[in-house]
Amino acid sequence: MEAQVIIKDITKTFILSKKQQKIERVNNKHKVAVNGLSFEAYKGEIYGLLGPNGAGKTTALRCISTLIKPDSGDIIVNGHSVMTDPEKVRESIGFLTSDLKLEAFFTPNYLFDYFAHLRGIDENIIQTRKKQLFEKLGIDRFAEVKVGELSTGMCQKVQIAISLLHDPAVIVFDEPTNGLDVLTAKVVTDYLTELKNAGKTIIISTHIFSVVEKICDRVGIIINGKLLLAKTIGEVGGTEANLENQFFDLVASESEEA
Amino acid sequence: MKNIWTIFKKEWDRVIKDKRLLFSVMILPGLMIFLIYTFMGTAMSSLNADKPGNIAIVNPTSAFADIYTPDEGEIIDNVITIDSTEIDTYKDLVDAGEWDLIIDFPEDLETGLVDGYQETLEIYLNGNETQSQIIYQTYRGYLDEYSEALSYQLYNDTTVLVFVIDSMTVDNNKIIGALMASLLPMLVVMFLFSGAMSIGPESIAGEKERGTMATLLVTPVKRSQIAMGKVASLGVLSLLSAISSFIGIILSFPKLFGEDIDFTSIYGFGEYAMILGLLFSTVFVIVGVISVVSAYAKNLKEAGTLITPIYLLTIVIGISSMFGEGANTSWWLYLLPIYNTVQTLIAILTFDSNITLYMMITIFSNLVFTALLILLLNRMFNSEKIMFSK
Repeated sequence: MEAQVIIKDITKTFILSKKQQKIERVNNKHKVAVNGLSFEAYKGEIYGLLGPNGAGKTTALRCISTLIKPDSGDIIVNGHSVMTDPEKVRESIGFLTSDLKLEAFFTPNYLFDYFAHLRGIDENIIQTRKKQLFEKLGIDRFAEVKVGELSTGMCQKVQIAISLLHDPAVIVFDEPTNGLDVLTAKVVTDYLTELKNAGKTIIISTHIFSVVEKICDRVGIIINGKLLLAKTIGEVGGTEANLENQFFDLVASESEEA
Repeated sequence: MKNIWTIFKKEWDRVIKDKRLLFSVMILPGLMIFLIYTFMGTAMSSLNADKPGNIAIVNPTSAFADIYTPDEGEIIDNVITIDSTEIDTYKDLVDAGEWDLIIDFPEDLETGLVDGYQETLEIYLNGNETQSQIIYQTYRGYLDEYSEALSYQLYNDTTVLVFVIDSMTVDNNKIIGALMASLLPMLVVMFLFSGAMSIGPESIAGEKERGTMATLLVTPVKRSQIAMGKVASLGVLSLLSAISSFIGIILSFPKLFGEDIDFTSIYGFGEYAMILGLLFSTVFVIVGVISVVSAYAKNLKEAGTLITPIYLLTIVIGISSMFGEGANTSWWLYLLPIYNTVQTLIAILTFDSNITLYMMITIFSNLVFTALLILLLNRMFNSEKIMFSK
């Protein structure tokens, strides 16, 4: 199997403000969000990062997307290091997270063209990709409606279309079905499976067991910034219940250690 | 370059395609300035307008009447003759602000003077009323003239010192130029800054706060291109906003300074081109500063709070044009941004002979500062601490 994303022992620490320390009820100024995290994602698979809130999933994905840099370690995406060649990494990655928003004033049509131009895509290819993605995700009827006037689900779909407009080799989606109704969530998970079958490398983060069980090939359970388990779905038992049991066992043993 | 243009165009569309924003950035500033200055001008001219005065004279003389009787076309005051018994009644009217002046001549003044008496003349006015004071000053002048005439009649020519006032012909352009140089630089700097302030923080701090900047940062576009695209578009939009304000003030000048002052024709194409070039180079320094502060701020509100003191500082620098005579002659001061714009504008408006040198130093300095600010902005866009601080 060809590893297209290699996460090598990354650590990321944040400095908490006084206010954040109060909210998190800690006295320590430093918070280790990701602690020596290593894993690989292969071409043509969906890798699921499973973990509770605050486990470090989003931080790890933000490091992969080059939005933030790890304090130590490195991440290789499609042969490029996030530390030394972030622009090349951004070229080959499609990233989606709730922190990335679209300008409410513009329409999906305008924003698609705007981001496609920024990625240097030819005009003909832009129009073909737009038609294809908008139809696939059901955005076509809303192409000229301002983003600010779209529903949450439709907004998420526009965000997905824009993150995939350059047909990236690596797709990193943080909680892709969060806040979506079951129908929209199904459209998204079906499309991710389709992309996997097309040979894309996909990493998703989630705290929903059924999503992992349904679409992921391998799963990594992350708690307190550390990867405590990395197995194929078959190895964890292949069912949602088995995955759930192992997850709660890990959470219990981790809190005992703490 | 293509990416800079793409970012430029998006920022441009954000303002131009939003009718409300377009109105508030491009039309409202000019319209408001026009209305405010027109109102000020109208109010000032109505305040200064000569109004006929009410003057009551006791024992008037025909010789004095000859002096104050207006020429044709002048304002005719309401001058009445009253009896000495009526003085108290008119004093009450003056106190109440309903009458302006009482002049109480002694009975048979001219005969008394001829007979060698020193006569006393009483004047009553209301020092709290502007109109009463104005009328007093006018009639005091007439009375001095009358007094001289009476002296001449009694002692012949009493003049020992003759005044001959002479000066070179008044150069109207120079006077108007000096007037413009004292007023315009401050307004221009204010307009440029307020124009940039109305869109700059929104474009950077606002995008950062809403998370749309992060979407841009995950594209492979270089941070320096994002910085240049933003600064370029904000610069052009701010300049257009400033031009709107500028048009507003130009249109209100006739009301502000009087219809007979036509300052637009005293400057030629060269002066206007220099002003535009100067503003174009200045606006990028201002936008650069606003962009850096906006990138540093955690949100739009903080950006506004941080920018306000800088805005006030630029106004203070702008006010410096009201002091001193003409443009500053120390060339190195033209390296200081904003101050150099103010001084170079003074030099242009007063037809200073060193204008080429001042202009070159100013534009060079502005370009260097703009480049440094873009470099700084680029570094800030690269800093996760700054871009993702909560």
